[in-house]
Amino acid sequence: MLRYILWRIITMIPTLLIISALVFTIIELPPGDFFESHIAELRALGEEADLAEIEMLKARYGFDQPMVIRYFRWVSGMLVGDFGYSFEYRLPVNEVVGDRLWLTIMVSVVTITFTWLIAFPIGIYSATHQYSWGDYGLTFIGMVGIAIPNFILALVMMYLANIWFGTSIGHLMDREYFNQPMSWDKFVSILEHLWIPVLIIGTAGTAAMIRRLRANLLDELKKQYVITARSKGLKPRRVLLKYPLRMALNFFISDIGSILPAVISGAEVTAIVLSLETTGPMLIKALQSQDMYLAGSFLMFLAFLTVIGVLVSDIALALLDPRIRFGAGKHK
Amino acid sequence: MITRRALLALLGSAAIPTALRANSDTSLDSAFLRDRIESGELPALSKRLPKNPRVIDLKSMGREPGHHGGELQMLIGRAKDIRYIPINSYSRLVGYNLELALVPDILESYTVEDGRVFTFHLRAGHRWSDGSAFTSSDFEYFWNEVALNIEIARGGPPIAFIVNGEVAKFEVLDELTVRYSWSQPNPVFLSKLAAPIPLTLALPAAYMRQYHANHQSAENLAAFIEQYRVDDWVGLHRKLSRQNRPENPDLPTLEAWRPTTAPPAEQFVFERNPYFHRVDENGKQLPYIDKFVMNVSSSEIIAAKTATGDSDLQGVGLALPDYTLIKEGESRFPIKVSLWRRTQGSSVALYPNLNCRDDVWRPLFQDVRVRRAFSLAINREEINQVLFYGLANESANTVLPESPLYKEDYARAWSFHDPDQANQLLDEAGLSKRNSQGIRLLPDGRRADIIVESAGEKTLETDVLELVTDHYRQVGISLYTRSSQRDIFRSRTMGGNVLMSVFNGLDNGLPSADMPPTQLAPSNDDQLQWPLWGLHYMSSKKQGQAPDMPYMQELSALLDEWMVSTSTEQRTDIWTRMLTIYSDQVFSIGTVNGGLQPLARSARLKNIPESGLFGFAPTSYLGVYLPDTFWFDKEG
Amino acid sequence: MTSPLPESGAELEHYVSDAPYDPNSIENNEAEGPLAHASQLRLMWYYFRQHRLALASGIFLVLVYISILFSEFLAPYNLHTRHTDAIYSPPASVHIFRDGSLVRPYTYGQTMTLDMTTLRRNYTDDLNDIQPLRYFCRGDAYQFWNLFESNLHLVCPAEGGQLFLLGTDRLGRDVLSRTIYGARISLTIGILGVLLSFFLGVIIGGLAGYRGGIFDMIVQRMTEVLQSIPSIPLWMALATIIPLTWSPLLVYVGITVILSLLDWTGLARAVRSKLLSLREEDYVVAAQLLGANSTRVIRRHLIPGFMSHLIASATLTVPGMILGETALSFLGIGLRPPITSWGILLTEARSINIIALYPWLLFPVVPVILVILAFNFLGDGLRDAADPYK
Repeated sequence: MLRYILWRIITMIPTLLIISALVFTIIELPPGDFFESHIAELRALGEEADLAEIEMLKARYGFDQPMVIRYFRWVSGMLVGDFGYSFEYRLPVNEVVGDRLWLTIMVSVVTITFTWLIAFPIGIYSATHQYSWGDYGLTFIGMVGIAIPNFILALVMMYLANIWFGTSIGHLMDREYFNQPMSWDKFVSILEHLWIPVLIIGTAGTAAMIRRLRANLLDELKKQYVITARSKGLKPRRVLLKYPLRMALNFFISDIGSILPAVISGAEVTAIVLSLETTGPMLIKALQSQDMYLAGSFLMFLAFLTVIGVLVSDIALALLDPRIRFGAGKHK
Repeated sequence: MITRRALLALLGSAAIPTALRANSDTSLDSAFLRDRIESGELPALSKRLPKNPRVIDLKSMGREPGHHGGELQMLIGRAKDIRYIPINSYSRLVGYNLELALVPDILESYTVEDGRVFTFHLRAGHRWSDGSAFTSSDFEYFWNEVALNIEIARGGPPIAFIVNGEVAKFEVLDELTVRYSWSQPNPVFLSKLAAPIPLTLALPAAYMRQYHANHQSAENLAAFIEQYRVDDWVGLHRKLSRQNRPENPDLPTLEAWRPTTAPPAEQFVFERNPYFHRVDENGKQLPYIDKFVMNVSSSEIIAAKTATGDSDLQGVGLALPDYTLIKEGESRFPIKVSLWRRTQGSSVALYPNLNCRDDVWRPLFQDVRVRRAFSLAINREEINQVLFYGLANESANTVLPESPLYKEDYARAWSFHDPDQANQLLDEAGLSKRNSQGIRLLPDGRRADIIVESAGEKTLETDVLELVTDHYRQVGISLYTRSSQRDIFRSRTMGGNVLMSVFNGLDNGLPSADMPPTQLAPSNDDQLQWPLWGLHYMSSKKQGQAPDMPYMQELSALLDEWMVSTSTEQRTDIWTRMLTIYSDQVFSIGTVNGGLQPLARSARLKNIPESGLFGFAPTSYLGVYLPDTFWFDKEG
Repeated sequence: MTSPLPESGAELEHYVSDAPYDPNSIENNEAEGPLAHASQLRLMWYYFRQHRLALASGIFLVLVYISILFSEFLAPYNLHTRHTDAIYSPPASVHIFRDGSLVRPYTYGQTMTLDMTTLRRNYTDDLNDIQPLRYFCRGDAYQFWNLFESNLHLVCPAEGGQLFLLGTDRLGRDVLSRTIYGARISLTIGILGVLLSFFLGVIIGGLAGYRGGIFDMIVQRMTEVLQSIPSIPLWMALATIIPLTWSPLLVYVGITVILSLLDWTGLARAVRSKLLSLREEDYVVAAQLLGANSTRVIRRHLIPGFMSHLIASATLTVPGMILGETALSFLGIGLRPPITSWGILLTEARSINIIALYPWLLFPVVPVILVILAFNFLGDGLRDAADPYK
């Protein structure tokens, strides 16, 4: 078991390295750089004095050095926790990012939990009552959930939540709690706001998961051992709970791997529209102003989150499913 | 020392039940500071105000004196926008009043001799927000230790202090008097002090000394450098002394509100400055509002949040299309919204690039008949109706009617809709041949296609261009729009790769004669119609090209003349001549001005005019309207 | 259990038919139906047809894609036609009854009043101004396929009247017409992007599966990497690379390439795994033994085996592409005006302003949903039918 975990962690490292190279190249590709746009903006504001500071920053962060060297400096910095400097905010990236990282994780985790909770019973119902009206109806609703673009749903729900429930527009909490430490009221305020993005991001993932769960469960139910159990007189429910469900559980755990990137992606767009305090809005602003280190760090963080998530799901799957541990492979 | 008046007020208020007390608060000092005064941390009001504070007579302005208290919430699109506090607070050595005349604000008085010797008198007893005295030594610190310090000011003292190569002579006459002088007039000096982002003349010496290499030990400096994550003491000093972006809660200030939150944050709280130098006519220290809170949001939802009552005062981030929603929100939330006018010379203006690389278009753009035709072809009434509900002024890109320099001729110049005359002018200019679709042909046979580039920041520009494209098709010119990004857009214009650009009109559409007419002549390389000529002027003739068109030399000469002018009459005359040339020669093509700006506020906020002029220059957004005199009424 | 078990070693009861041997018995066996000897394609079609929803979706999509060719004809107005007197006009209702009897469909003319307190344009029906719709009529002029000029439209307003079935936007442009035109860009980006992915996926996956070895390992690593990066942030980053000064057409191509760059991995994996399993099939070995070279083996024997699966997978990635383009345009980093796609139309409806006051501008989301649903159902149906021998 331990060997398996170690092996997975070791293979994660080259993956992350390749991702970092990819991210760095992408960040570097846009023509122009942050300084040009920043200088133009400074002049528009009349802040001439800061031009000298920009020269200093340029020299310090080695913008006169070739790309490869800058890449190595960035990666080596990340390993010790120095994610570089955000030129837009004039602060190290660590300080700018603040709470956004763990809020991103929280939103993703809550969404996945929500997805599980909804998809599980619905998937089982669909599989056991195949071709019934309930099955068709739920499938259809699920499909519609996938088809509606997140951002439109976000806008409409943000507006409706304000009209019906008086929830303030955007953000993850009311403004009086912004700078305050966590308290019960702040927690309640976050919950009031959180359900909107979770619902939006979750709908697409839920529908997809229901479909896959249904398909997997149907496959399981057709297998020999289920027929044997039924023919031996086991009650249908017990049959269901004892065997195929265990396989379905496997499926859930392994499905995190495919759902996590989608959830994080969906979360980004939704966060931008709703102006949440997660990585999304900051990422798009950083990309547009070519704030290189900030954008690169966010992308790396998101990729890292995904890779870790897949790792966790693989390990959890290995724990649950002895076949994996003993190398039989989980794909047919 | 508590004055008798305050003592009686306190005793009196103790005897009156709370409900009544709230309405009859006679204390001259804000309750917000009461604890700190009682604990001895802050002295009483009489010790905190200068001996001769600036009295704002509200009744004579048509406003009501108010009472202290309240927290004002405002939304900003990015953390950088906390710079709006010093802009709105508008505490300046000299500032503009509502008639756009210069009045001393921080200064008690000033004198100008020959337009070249400026003597400033400070107010006795005026203190920085941390209680340290505000005296001429703060000016001296800035001059000797910053402006003249070769490490901080690497390229020499700031350009604003140099007239024709001569650096200002700075003298301290006594504790409360300083003098700046040149041998030639410097008419632009005072307007720089009254600008939204003013020229710095003084820094809090006692505070800043601890971050200066001449006054602080190297080890302590090294510790600070590490703590503030800068590279050297120069960076340290610069970072901590930035007044136009209030990120340093410890930096003493003279503005009405001082920062208490350091970035990064989603919410920035500004508290009243206990040593602010203005009072109302009853002696109450301004500002009325105790706290100014800026909440960072995303610019796309600012309008929606304002319409649902999440902002107490909002102008930035709102545009005319948002007005309807906010107006309808008045019935559900305690907000009010009114329409102010923008101060730009034109909401959207077209700039044919007279320095473009294209050898065929350049002489055409430099031909005044072509520019006049471009202006005549535009149907400004349609633009006004479609995009501004008919409420804006159809006009050329020139000063607003509210400016003392306005003449109707400037607005009317070549700005009526006359496609026939436009066609005729274009024919005369050599573009008489057309192809089968009716598009004119250039002398070298190409179609008259113009790609108009924009900085891509406003949908208003795209919309106006859609309308203008149709107008131009009727005179045989075909336009294509391309959105770009501000920096790329400017660099391309400067490189001559852009034929025509679209942007705001004159930045300051409300000039008085004492403001420099730099926008009307080549003066800067980011002027979109003549970047190379502007660069030439800016670099003291070292880079760029010298203007070689008729009237160009005249405009440049008039600008130079203004820069050495000595009297307002002289300056008014120069402005008039420049405005006449500028409008007659149509160096930029305006569409409408006086565009409308919704200004939303809490229904309880008083002393905000129902209508006014909103813009960066010269009104400094709300600065000229004195936001320190706004107050919250306890009833709605 | 009706009879006792036989003794061990005894012969079991069995039955042997004494009918004469008929070599064509299978073909003649009507019980099995005409499918018994149908070709693979016919079998697939048979199974596909049974999936009603997939069939309906397929027909719907074919119709929609054909409509792209005739957008100018179908749309009542041209793409850029403006009506300055009908800004933010709400959707018109078409009536077919008047005074209780069935009449030719008509709408009412609209009178516009500008409310100066709220700065809102209010439209009321003018009951005296009956405007019957015209069909196959003359309206705005357009260039048909850049070949010839025409002005024939499927439906137009009455002479001198207006017909805004889905209302107008802030410049007075008809939302329905713009949605019809927008289909061109949105739908073609999806198909072109998928074609590009398909191409990349088949080649790379095919090589990996067939050759194996180092190449296979590299490709596996690469696909793993690309699949671990969340797509939207990566698309956002890539989209900001596109220089803003490119012409709209180049931007369109650029966005298509970007969208397909991330999606080929799924197809490549599918191709690879299919190839790996099929490579060991008996018929491949047989073909090789009979002397076929690798090209012939791949082309004639392997590809037909998994092509159907690929087509099913490809169909299921089109929705992702359409959503991707819509999302990027919505965020302002994909296509930009004057190109009109559904994403750009939705960007114009992005503020709460619009949702509260002029919700009809959100209509372009309906075709997005329908097309994505259709592709999903179609893909499901194709996937179920893909392996008819299952």
